[in-house]
Amino acid sequence: MTHLESQIGRSSLPQDKDGIDEGSLESVMREVPRGAMALAGTAVALLTVGWVAIYLFVFVPRGVVG
Amino acid sequence: MAESADAQERHILATELRWSAMVAVLVAAILSVVVYTAISVGINPPSNVERIDPKSLHLTGEFAEHNLGTSVAADGAITARMVATQFAFVPRCIALPSGKPVTLRFASPDVVHGLLITGTNVNTMVVPGYIAQVHTVFTQTGDLLMPCHEYCGLGHSEMWAVVQVVPEKEFKPASDGRASCEKR
Repeated sequence: MTHLESQIGRSSLPQDKDGIDEGSLESVMREVPRGAMALAGTAVALLTVGWVAIYLFVFVPRGVVG
Repeated sequence: MAESADAQERHILATELRWSAMVAVLVAAILSVVVYTAISVGINPPSNVERIDPKSLHLTGEFAEHNLGTSVAADGAITARMVATQFAFVPRCIALPSGKPVTLRFASPDVVHGLLITGTNVNTMVVPGYIAQVHTVFTQTGDLLMPCHEYCGLGHSEMWAVVQVVPEKEFKPASDGRASCEKR
């Protein structure tokens, strides 16, 4: 019984009938977080690089203000 | 199987904690850059709490008509004063030198206005009852557009001025310390 199955109190989920075996499901569930991390990491890295570039090459050269 | 699920949950928790730590480091790094620049270079958000009566500011004192525009004090301090009113800046043009510290002071007799000077970091609100003040050093020369950027009424889109930034050598105030724009 998987964790989800134990939470909802059933021994098998309807999806079992789709012919997806549990091993494949678990392997996908192992891969998905890595993909999510890669996507989120790339997005945040691009935003950070953009912020730093605008800060250093646009904002700071525009001169002192205060 | 339950152990495997628990292991998976622990793995996800560890991933989320790693991600949170990375984001915290990133935020701390960005804040450090901002604070370092503020302290070392002196780039700060303009901040000034100085009251003025909006009903009479144009009659006497600092923002009376004869005192508007750019003036150079005996100690060399350069100050430009402008009134932001529906729907114009008075005067329409101010002359300032590049490469020297200047102080810009604004007041409004009617509604909330705002302004920015294109290509610079000058950007402030002009709130009736207060004097908006910005210290800056212009790093470029030319006629810089200064539009009102806070909707102030039907004529808002027509409300703009020009900041004529000239090279320091060419900035020559009159004997009374006043400087005005050259006609081009």
